[in-house]
Amino acid sequence: MPGFDPALELQRGSSISTVSYIDEPGQHDENPRPAVQMENTYQLGPVKRFPVLTVNNILKDVLTSYLQEEKYEAELCRQMTKTISEVIKARVKELMIPRYKLIVLIGIGQLSEQNNLRIASRCLWDPSSDTFASYAFKNSSLFAVANVYAVYFE
Amino acid sequence: TAFVVEDISNIIKEAVDTTIGSSPFQTARVNAWTSAVVETCLSQLAKLGKPFKYIVTCIVMQKNGAGLHAASSCFWDNTTDGSCTLRWENKTTYCIVSVFGLGL
Repeated sequence: MPGFDPALELQRGSSISTVSYIDEPGQHDENPRPAVQMENTYQLGPVKRFPVLTVNNILKDVLTSYLQEEKYEAELCRQMTKTISEVIKARVKELMIPRYKLIVLIGIGQLSEQNNLRIASRCLWDPSSDTFASYAFKNSSLFAVANVYAVYFE
Repeated sequence: TAFVVEDISNIIKEAVDTTIGSSPFQTARVNAWTSAVVETCLSQLAKLGKPFKYIVTCIVMQKNGAGLHAASSCFWDNTTDGSCTLRWENKTTYCIVSVFGLGL
């Protein structure tokens, strides 16, 4: 990739960065599906709103049941973040809220006396139809944060 | 108009470099940093003028040996939506910024 020389990055100041992303959209299909044509439904807003409190409870259940007794270990927590995010996505999908796209974000970290951490997020969306649910969990050796964003698909 | 990862990652990198740059970690400034990074990213993304809804998340952490794992899973349409995560560090700080873009 032009201009992405790691040695150059190091010289440019004292910061390094790496980028990671999922596959480019539309490139990973061997038989690319034709773009789906959607018909008008003449629906201006969501029929069924996203139940924030229910999802908060789901987050609380899942995080507590998976992490209550665990200690922070690198390998375990790596698997755990992936598993928990899939589990939460599946449970929110079970609620069958139509026309909502979901993004689930999980962070698990180690507690230490000096650990300072700040998580912030901002969204550019339509606040009348889009929303989020969030829960933070802590036990003696680790903390976990779960965020679910729900975006209405017109 | 699809989600172009390279543009987005450049925007994020610029935002973090200008906000934190090579400053050492200071607890008092963390709040301001996260807000500034996220606001800058979002305003630059809005300037792109593409028909997307964006979600920008930023995690700032001090480097002192503690571990952190982050994962995300998304239920969306692969052809129109995408995400980009940038992991940035300097001598004393880690910063992870994720941008999710959902096509309208």
